[in-house]
Amino acid sequence: MSKISIGEFEEIVMLTVAVLYKDAYGVAIKKDLEKRSKRNVSLGSMRTALKRLEKKGLITSEFGEVTAVRGGKRKRYFKVTPYGKKVLIEVMETRKRLWDAIPDLAFDI
Amino acid sequence: MAYQPNIAPPKGLIRFFRWFCDPDLVEELEGDMIELFEERSQSSIAKAKTLLVWEIIMLFRPGIIRNFDENKNLNNYGMIKNYLKSAWRSFMKYKTFSAINIFSLTIGMAACMVIFLFVKDERSFDAFNEKKDKIYRLCEVQSPPGTIVQNVALSMPGMGPTMTAEFPEIETFTRFWNWGDQLLEIGEKRITIENVAGVDSTFFEIFDYPLIIGDPSEVVDEPLDAVVSEEVAITLFNKLDVIGETFILDGDQCIIRGVMENVPENSHLQFNILLNIKSATLNNPDFDTQFGSNFLNTYFILNEAADLDAMAERYPDYLIRNTGDEDANDFYKLFLQPLEEVHLTSMDIEHDYNNYRKFNGTYIDVFILVGIFILIIASLNFMNLTTARASNRAKEVGVRKTIGAIKGQLFNQFIIESIMLSFMALVFAILLTLIALPFLNILVERQLTLLTILTNAQLVLVVLSISLVLGILAGIYPSLYLSSFKPVIVLKGFKSYEKRSLFRSSLIIVQFSLALGMIIATLVVIQQLNFMKNKDIGFTTDHILLLDMNQQTRENYDEFKQTLLNESNILGVTGSGQRLGNNFHQWGFKATQDTGIVRLTPSNVYVDHDYLDVYGIKLIQGRTFSREFATDDGLAFIVNESFAKELGYEDPIGKRVGHSWYPNDSLGTIIGVTEDFNFNSLHYQVNTLSMVVHTDWGYSEMSIKLNGENIQQAVKDVERIYDQFVTDYPIEYQFLDSHFDELYKSDVQMGSVISIIAGLSIFIGCMGLFGLASISIQRRIKEVGIRKVMGASVNELVTLLSKNFAVMILISFLIATPITYLFIAGWLESFAFRVQINPLLFVAGGLIALVIALVTISFHVIKAAQTNPVNSLKYE
Repeated sequence: MSKISIGEFEEIVMLTVAVLYKDAYGVAIKKDLEKRSKRNVSLGSMRTALKRLEKKGLITSEFGEVTAVRGGKRKRYFKVTPYGKKVLIEVMETRKRLWDAIPDLAFDI
Repeated sequence: MAYQPNIAPPKGLIRFFRWFCDPDLVEELEGDMIELFEERSQSSIAKAKTLLVWEIIMLFRPGIIRNFDENKNLNNYGMIKNYLKSAWRSFMKYKTFSAINIFSLTIGMAACMVIFLFVKDERSFDAFNEKKDKIYRLCEVQSPPGTIVQNVALSMPGMGPTMTAEFPEIETFTRFWNWGDQLLEIGEKRITIENVAGVDSTFFEIFDYPLIIGDPSEVVDEPLDAVVSEEVAITLFNKLDVIGETFILDGDQCIIRGVMENVPENSHLQFNILLNIKSATLNNPDFDTQFGSNFLNTYFILNEAADLDAMAERYPDYLIRNTGDEDANDFYKLFLQPLEEVHLTSMDIEHDYNNYRKFNGTYIDVFILVGIFILIIASLNFMNLTTARASNRAKEVGVRKTIGAIKGQLFNQFIIESIMLSFMALVFAILLTLIALPFLNILVERQLTLLTILTNAQLVLVVLSISLVLGILAGIYPSLYLSSFKPVIVLKGFKSYEKRSLFRSSLIIVQFSLALGMIIATLVVIQQLNFMKNKDIGFTTDHILLLDMNQQTRENYDEFKQTLLNESNILGVTGSGQRLGNNFHQWGFKATQDTGIVRLTPSNVYVDHDYLDVYGIKLIQGRTFSREFATDDGLAFIVNESFAKELGYEDPIGKRVGHSWYPNDSLGTIIGVTEDFNFNSLHYQVNTLSMVVHTDWGYSEMSIKLNGENIQQAVKDVERIYDQFVTDYPIEYQFLDSHFDELYKSDVQMGSVISIIAGLSIFIGCMGLFGLASISIQRRIKEVGIRKVMGASVNELVTLLSKNFAVMILISFLIATPITYLFIAGWLESFAFRVQINPLLFVAGGLIALVIALVTISFHVIKAAQTNPVNSLKYE
């Protein structure tokens, strides 16, 4: 198990970044998140999660080109790092192991 | 709904967001918000705005908000470290200047600390009394006929009780009646205890002299109840718990009811044993209503609402009613002196016998003033030398500014440097004070200790903050000056900045004005002190031994005296009722005039027949007392010139006069008139005086004139003969000249403090001058070289270089003279007998300062003038 632990929200954000691949910037991530997780996500909470992840080295980011839209402000694109991928897989596998370990009768009441 | 691409989000919100957001995140987040806003505003602008507000609020969180402290945190520690390092380097590089800077501050601070300790000690008098704000001492202004108006600390026994009864403002009273040294008998043991006094039962409730054993409210309640000090308890009984022990005093058995701590040094009342005041008046039931003569101190506690002025209006009426004398107010005026003023504000009060270590409070102000002066002089040194040396630091400033330092930072750097120096000076000052205090304590006869400051957290804080403020104040100007340099100019070469020396010159002038003022003041003070020491006061004070009389010496007075006179080293012996050196007691006096009997109140002293001879008091008229005439015992009076004048006789000799209690038909006569001699201290005019012989009264003191060549042997002779006659009492004596020294102690101490401070301030001033001279002459070294090449002689050059400094001293002299004159004239006013202010003293003070200053700079001046021009000119 990796020493780095990530929260549930962080995991979802990372997965979303991975899903969007080349298109993972602020508004896009937010929309996708809201669509898939069916909850409201503020820019603030999302951006702080991204900042944390970046600090942990799980994702990287870079500015895109200047465009005419968005008041001429650049977008910041995020990308999952190989290390991030490893952590995601680890989290998934932990879950999987846990699921596998659950006896069949556990949820039957 | 139509597409509206140009709707921008509200500017204010975005501006707010930009303000708080981390600069790294601003762009993308703003973009995201604009994108969202534009999209949302397609459906509803209001909703878009609401959501935008929501987003911004949600962004206002740690991680997004920028670090508002970033500028402060940046480099702070490293920077200060660097400041200290460069301060230390410049300190080590210019050792002389740094040493002058620190040393002058050190001296200034040490002087201030000592002065502070002294002042604090003096101000602490009687402060231990919790009710000190409410305690007052009853005093009188006496103006009986035939005497000088005088303030007197004494009052009448009846005043305490009756005033307390009649004035609702007075809560309670206590009297303090000093009985001096008393002989105690305990079984076979006889011991003389000094300072025995009688007080009222309320004494320990009014004053807070702590009791070790006993209840303050009842220890002296009954006559013959006694409270002894720790020390006395040990001396008498060799133990502390002496409650219930007894001793015999004057034939009465007294019982000890309490033991008190030894009376502190800073108490104006000093006593070792206190008895209920009635112990001495067992046979006098009217003591509490006794009026007439003043011989004890009365203290009151006033209530909060008391108004001294309103009370004063009722005194005249009170006096007439109680003294039964319609004219009482012509002779007496009462006033209340707050306890806090007793120690320091009683110089104009006479007959002030119970005022231990009485000190002239105005001298305290003088001390504080000179303390501030010396600190100013020291700080000016610092300012002066730092700015004068600016060129040394100019390059550093230039480089720092070039690599990005802003003015504020440089200002901080120099201020920190200055504070650092100030704290170094503080450390040295503490050391210096520690070393100097023991010697100063001997000089001023105090027990000052630095622990007073060091053990008091509040004072430590004050000292630290003063050092801090001093560092900042002294550093402000140099720091502003240094940090204002323009890098381009200073890095090119530092010529254009060196002209502004007017400011520095004025600092020097201020310094020297202060120092000069103090020098002149010192000269006058020394002159006055010498004058007092050497003034012919009309009688001799040399080699006179004052021997305390007691029962046994009184009984055998004549024989004792004769035996003493038989010794070759004893030149004269006489007796008197009071000691010279203060005002004599004033008694009523009757004199016959054409109009009838006149009543006057001169000072009085009863003496032995040969008093005038032994003391060498000169007669102008008539004869001295003689044993040949039986009437000379009690019926012959010798008056002084002032009294003779007051009496107004054309020829006073043979006129009928007498004590006020003599019947009109059996008065004595005036047999002689003496010169006015200063029986009181020279602070006072000579009062009217009448002398009389009363052999049967018993003298309180014997004056023995010793052979000055052989003092030690003479004293031994006195002791030997004393032991032959006296078995019960130990010998107690003092020399008259040392008694007189005590009279002027306050003045002499002030003189020494002023001299020391004056010396130190001129010293500090000269250190500054030395530094400044070295800098300014260094700067003119090429000019000197060229002048020399052109043919100037060494003398001419010395004159040239010294001229500026001499002019500065001259200006200081012109400033200092009038101010000092006013101050000194005011001081001399406090002496009835004083020196004339001699203008020559001012000139002398000026010359001293000039010579010291010129000698100080001469080192640099002569060195510069003698330099080989080749050396000074070859680099260009």
